[in-house]
Amino acid sequence: MNSANKEMVESAFGTARPTTDAAAASPLANNLADLLTHEDVDRARDRWRVTRARGGQARAAGLGKLPLFWLLVGPGVLVFLGENDAPSMLSYSATGSRFGVGFFIPFVIFTFLMGLVVQEMTVRLGAVTHRGHAELIFDRFGRFWGLFSIGDLILGNFLTLVTEFIGIRAGLGFFGVRPVIAVAIGLAVVFVAITTGRYWTWERITLALAIFNGLFVPAALLARPHWQAVGHALWSWMPLPHGSGSEILLLLLANIGATVTPWMIFFQQSAVVDKGIQPRDISAGRLDTLVGAVLAAAFGIAAILATVPLFHHGIDASRFEAAQFAEALEPWIGHAGAALFALGIFESGIVAAIAISTSSAYAFGEVLRTGHSLNRPVREAWPFYSILLGSACAAAALVLIPHAPLVFIVLIVNVIAVLAMPPALAFLLLLVNDRDVMGEHVNRAWENVTGVTVTVLLICAGIGFGLATVFPHWLAP
Amino acid sequence: MKSGKAADDGNVGKARPSTDHLSEPNLKDPHVILSLLEADQTVAAKQRMRFGRRNLSFGAKALLWGLRVYVVAMLVLVVISVVRAIHSVP
Repeated sequence: MNSANKEMVESAFGTARPTTDAAAASPLANNLADLLTHEDVDRARDRWRVTRARGGQARAAGLGKLPLFWLLVGPGVLVFLGENDAPSMLSYSATGSRFGVGFFIPFVIFTFLMGLVVQEMTVRLGAVTHRGHAELIFDRFGRFWGLFSIGDLILGNFLTLVTEFIGIRAGLGFFGVRPVIAVAIGLAVVFVAITTGRYWTWERITLALAIFNGLFVPAALLARPHWQAVGHALWSWMPLPHGSGSEILLLLLANIGATVTPWMIFFQQSAVVDKGIQPRDISAGRLDTLVGAVLAAAFGIAAILATVPLFHHGIDASRFEAAQFAEALEPWIGHAGAALFALGIFESGIVAAIAISTSSAYAFGEVLRTGHSLNRPVREAWPFYSILLGSACAAAALVLIPHAPLVFIVLIVNVIAVLAMPPALAFLLLLVNDRDVMGEHVNRAWENVTGVTVTVLLICAGIGFGLATVFPHWLAP
Repeated sequence: MKSGKAADDGNVGKARPSTDHLSEPNLKDPHVILSLLEADQTVAAKQRMRFGRRNLSFGAKALLWGLRVYVVAMLVLVVISVVRAIHSVP
């Protein structure tokens, strides 16, 4: 037992320790049990499984570290596949249909490398502090800066959540499902996932859904990509995109916003805490994040490749919504390919809706100092679950309002994500360099260099967007 | 304020004789639960032990204010850009 827990035990009933079941059932133990919550018990159960997997039984069975990785995988894969959401897949599709195979293929990999650098820091922060990102910002920087930070998050999250329901509606719309039914299905999935009262179950359900992000891979294969051109693009970043500078800049920003966003920082750190990850699990957390980044990059590139036929046939997809991409692709990748594409958009909306509404709920719970764990039953953490489900319901309702400015929201959501990212990164970098918080796990020099580089790149991208807005003729063809 | 955190990490996971050999831990025993969790991983410990405010240097304050102004300015430009885009739709 570690020192602080020992102190808690002793302050509850002296130094005597029950060692048998009978002793554990004694009144003294009941006092101590009063200090523990359902959340603690569930987390301890998860930790025991990790301890057992480390214990060597799995290795003796010839499974190596696979069982341990199975237990610790989750937040990293979820955050990256969650970020391969409806507007992101729409951005990739627009990129493929507008510019074909070329510069943007390696660029997408580059953006995921940036995302990997950022998300790795959240793993360390969560594992070492056992606190969510919003809680740490409020604790270390105070209410003033905390409110700014949470304001950016909540605005961005809500707008993004709306676009997820647009994706859900559009994806199922391809199959003739009415919007109200499609949105209801989306809400039902979110509801089922959160009512398990267990982080582990929620995580496994969401992971199982997230893996269907891979539907873009068979859709891409049906588009018969020119692999030699893909290989050449990966190696040379060529051909460069041609055309309107402002359009290229917008797609650059949209592709960056498809990979690095504030909600990812808040979500992964809170999920790491809720999962009960400890400092000794950081390596596994890094692997989890790497696997998530690789899968998401592969599926994002698949979405680009799937829509390349539209580029080759000169079809203007600049104003396409998700279902229109699937319909437009049907002549070239067949009905099955188009259906896979539409299902992929539906899936990306569902998983992101779950992850983003959970991210908002975690942040609210941390700031309001109320229960904020998926290990808590609804009666113990009803504000947390109310925010989670309420934000999803509000976004879903907005999508169903006739003449709601949905195009407006889709246009700005990824751009806002990129613009709000530098302050979020600044808080993240200040926290991971805070020795009082991180101890020996503070950032090393090269991690700071990469973190600052990512921040500067994002600021430059934002300034480029600003200049293009103020001087629209500057980037005209 | 949390201190000596790194020193605690080394102990976690070593002192777990009550659970390692069991097929299922007795999670009715609070001691078993506490032995599986880190010092400040229980809800009660987290409520009791909070990180204090840090003193922000002038540079850090300037950075945060600069980024705040940047975000507000950029959001204004986003609105301008989107209004233009919507008006350009035939």
